[in-house]
Amino acid sequence: MATSTDIGRGGPLPPPRSTTGVVGWMRANLFSSWYNTVLTAVSGVVLLVSLWYGLGWMIFTADWTVIGVLGGQMIIGQYNIEAACPGQNCFWRPQAGLLLVTALLGMAWGIAGGGLTKRIAIAVAVALAAFALLPYGLDTMGMDVRALLVANLPALGVGWALARYTPLGTPRWIAIFGVVIFIAILVLLRGLPGVPGLQPVSVIYWGGLMLNLLLAVAGIVLSLPIGIALALGRRSQLPVVKLLCVVFIEVFRGVPLITLLFMSQVLVPLAFPENFPQNSLFRAAVVITLFSVAYMAENIRGGLQALHPGQAEAARALGLPGWQTTLLISLPQAIRNVIPAIVGQFIALFKDTSLVYIIGMLDVVEISRAFIQGNTEYLASAKELFIFLALVFWVFTYGMSYVSRRIEQHLGVGER
Amino acid sequence: MEETTGPEEMIVCRDVHKWYGDFHALRGITTTVNRREVVVAFGPSGSGKSTFIRTINRLEDHQRGDIIVDGIELTDDVRNIDAIRRDVGMVFQSFNLFPHLTVKSNITLAPIKVRHMPSDEADEIAMSLLERVGIPEQAEKYPAELSGGQQQRVAIARALAMQPKIMLFDEPTSALDPEMIKEVLDVMQELAESGMTMIVVTHEMGFAREVADRMMMFDEGTLVEEGTPQQIFEDPQSDRTKLFLSQIL
Repeated sequence: MATSTDIGRGGPLPPPRSTTGVVGWMRANLFSSWYNTVLTAVSGVVLLVSLWYGLGWMIFTADWTVIGVLGGQMIIGQYNIEAACPGQNCFWRPQAGLLLVTALLGMAWGIAGGGLTKRIAIAVAVALAAFALLPYGLDTMGMDVRALLVANLPALGVGWALARYTPLGTPRWIAIFGVVIFIAILVLLRGLPGVPGLQPVSVIYWGGLMLNLLLAVAGIVLSLPIGIALALGRRSQLPVVKLLCVVFIEVFRGVPLITLLFMSQVLVPLAFPENFPQNSLFRAAVVITLFSVAYMAENIRGGLQALHPGQAEAARALGLPGWQTTLLISLPQAIRNVIPAIVGQFIALFKDTSLVYIIGMLDVVEISRAFIQGNTEYLASAKELFIFLALVFWVFTYGMSYVSRRIEQHLGVGER
Repeated sequence: MEETTGPEEMIVCRDVHKWYGDFHALRGITTTVNRREVVVAFGPSGSGKSTFIRTINRLEDHQRGDIIVDGIELTDDVRNIDAIRRDVGMVFQSFNLFPHLTVKSNITLAPIKVRHMPSDEADEIAMSLLERVGIPEQAEKYPAELSGGQQQRVAIARALAMQPKIMLFDEPTSALDPEMIKEVLDVMQELAESGMTMIVVTHEMGFAREVADRMMMFDEGTLVEEGTPQQIFEDPQSDRTKLFLSQIL
């Protein structure tokens, strides 16, 4: 009397257990076997206990006042101390630079018209303006500073309007403005001799998050094109070009960044006359960029190697010259395929900017450490301070990671 | 150089040799392809037929002998190579469409970048070519969204957009499912009837019998036998041709 639904001699099987709903999901994902059940129980207990005590500490015990006390220094380092900027308040200069950045974001929003760019632009401007409302550090963060922070909102609007209602609203102009603004910020920070209000501030006083961001932006913007050039050079048919690229990549990849930074400060000056203008920040930026370039070149080369040779063949067969084949066919596909590796490199670069402490620069981490060391009354607050620093780094790196994921989705990576 | 080819001779090959390292891939190919002629090259794998057509647009360089395409001799001179590639379209076994560009951009890329055609004119040509190969509705899709047969038809349209004088087909249907082979062969047949000079590497003997003016049998880097489809199918001269045909028919 067996029917087709009978399996073997066991008779009809019971219906499969539910895998939908909360209970079904938990059964499928948390308690699917005895060892998964044990794992779930153990990690659940660990999670609950650490959350209970961790959150409890963060909310009830932790004393976050140190962040308010250090506040401005974490952002600009010693830029505004009396020795750096005698007789004046120079805090407005980095802030004015920030306004330019916000205006640029506004332009990007104006071109993109919405979506992710809009959300990022608004989030950044609102966050900066919100800083003005912080109750901390009234002594270091005066009303002038707070007013400039709030000005990020109109700056965003100005950028948006420029992109919308003038012929400047094209990606090309954004790129040009990006470079111009970066240079303008450097000039603004460094100052111009003889210009009232812009007295020079030596780079040895530049610090805090501002230093990390300047180094990271320069490194990120430059390491991609230079990395592409080196990747192409390493695949070149010309033996000299190829050799030079291989030597560069292997040297910069084979030496720790700390060593390179140290060498840049100690050895490079020996190669120039004594009265040659020296700039430790510039040397650090060059070293960080070149270090990143070596990795970037190998990432891009990996992407190029993964391409089917038929792609270049098809382009050549259509009569496209070699450089156009590379520019229009090979590179777009190669870069698209290695976006995760490229963004990983950007994130590593951003975190590595902290290593400039080795050459005496006070980046956001080092200035915090130095503050704790110099103000023993805050020794107990080191925990809060470093948790906060971790959060700051995480916000930036997660932002990069999120943007890259969105770009990948937009380009349909993995689908076509 | 003009006097070396008559007006009817599109491709002239004289004693063409090609080595890959020690491997002698082409061992003295001498043949002529006339304007509007459709030639089918066949033979066992590794016989040099693909290598032969790839030397004609210099995707492979030959080390001895002369190849003259539409009056231009193929040498290391890059200007000559680019000039010939503009006039010689090629269709590959694995399609080789550009996956990061839409179907329409695949077709318009070379006319815009190489022929400096205005983009609206290139768009118009692309659409009329897609019409011709029967898939105008796919213009804005990406290659990965198309079936193999559709991709190969786009690849043909892409090559035709450069308005080539010669079309080379390197096993255009070998990577396709049986039912998609016909849609591609139909496009090729229509192209042959329009008067295009074509060299087709294929094992589709039905296509050869119906469309080819001439067939070339390759084996071990040599051109074993040439003749009309009738001669090749009904009265092959070489034992090698007889054996090969008996195996595939």
